[in-house]
Amino acid sequence: MENLQQLFIEAGTLMLAGMVFVFTFLGLLIVFIKVVLVKLATKFPDAIVESRASSKKNNKKQDGNAVSPAVVAAISCAVTQYRQQHSAQK
Amino acid sequence: MDSLKLLWMSTGLANFELGQVIMMLVGCGLLYLAIARNFEPLLLVPMGFGAILTNIPAAGFSEVGGLLHYIYYAGIDTGIFPLLIFMGVGAMTDFGALIANPKTLLLGAAAQFGIFATLFGAIALNFVGLDFSMKDASAIAIIGGADGPTAIFLASKLAPDLLGAIAVAAYSYMALVPIIQPPIMRALTTEDERKIEMAQLRHVTKVEKIIFPLGVLMMTIFFLPAATPLVGMFCLGNLMRECGVVDRLSSTAQNELINIVTIFLGLGVGSKLSAEHFLNAKTLGILALGAVAFSIGTATGVLMAKLMNKFAKEKVNPLIGAAGVSAVPMAARVANKVGLEANPHNFLLMHAMGPNVAGVLGSAVAAGILLALVG
Repeated sequence: MENLQQLFIEAGTLMLAGMVFVFTFLGLLIVFIKVVLVKLATKFPDAIVESRASSKKNNKKQDGNAVSPAVVAAISCAVTQYRQQHSAQK
Repeated sequence: MDSLKLLWMSTGLANFELGQVIMMLVGCGLLYLAIARNFEPLLLVPMGFGAILTNIPAAGFSEVGGLLHYIYYAGIDTGIFPLLIFMGVGAMTDFGALIANPKTLLLGAAAQFGIFATLFGAIALNFVGLDFSMKDASAIAIIGGADGPTAIFLASKLAPDLLGAIAVAAYSYMALVPIIQPPIMRALTTEDERKIEMAQLRHVTKVEKIIFPLGVLMMTIFFLPAATPLVGMFCLGNLMRECGVVDRLSSTAQNELINIVTIFLGLGVGSKLSAEHFLNAKTLGILALGAVAFSIGTATGVLMAKLMNKFAKEKVNPLIGAAGVSAVPMAARVANKVGLEANPHNFLLMHAMGPNVAGVLGSAVAAGILLALVG
């Protein structure tokens, strides 16, 4: 029984220490995100992603097969519509 | 006649013991849950099959010289398999939602209360004759973290004899998230709270996503080195995903490698589902405590969100607090689903991913604390 009582005290200490530590650790992470990462984000905006996205676009332009049929259909539809309106005005 | 007798004695039928038959049925039950009910099939199929293999009489799968024996000692006893899985999980994790709304880390922290509160439950079971030490209690309590690899890693270090039951409980409850969590979420929130709409998350830059895992690793090195195996591998996987220069490695970590390791991890855990390890009152205690741990974690996550709403200007929907128990991405999906029931225009999925991945970090930190203080 005494042993069990000791185990309960040990479990209580572990719970208290554990929860305090988890909150402190993740709380420090919040500080890290708000102080370091947010500053980094303003200093280094998404240049990498933009350049990659633009290079992907360039690749797509070079590779004719990469343009989806839906896009081709939409563009040709718009061109036809524009031509019809243009000829009607004339 | 002697040869016939010898032949009969070498058959499975002559050597079967009742315990082995029951454990084979348990293995078949796991296969049923995986195949027919789609409960965590990636792990339960190899685990269930491993349980059948390890209980074959006279085959010696789990004895020295047997395949499952070596799989267990090479990958689980050493802790390698759960750590490799954690690297793959890191490679699959997007911390964007968490970085955009960092206060959701508090929800992930609160949900870890399920782990530490269950320690009491495990010790209390000593009153009914179950003999759980503090190491056993810690290994059982980690089920509340709802993180399979973390549970297996900690159990392999603190209570290898209970590993099979702990892994089965952890993965079963993770699969049961859509059934366990919603009643608790509804009971602890009002209709109006469930309807709360949250502001759109800001864009997170590439640099932030690259620096984040390195920052987490540095903090773990400084404050909790015992958690560096888990957090370190997780951060390595995440860095490979975000840095953009090792796409092949990232792809391998989150596809081929994690798939291969999952097969062996499942078989290795299955090898621990032998009658002498599983068919006892302790297993029932572990299954019950696992459900308690999970429920407490869900409740404290929701209650923490409600507490935050008392002080914060920008309200959070308390349903996303339930996603703090990790179980990625199932818990986030459940929060989204319950939110949609209250308000069909309220999509909480991205908001819930914040506490969800915070829960993964939180449970790894909790495991590190238990290892440091009890291991």
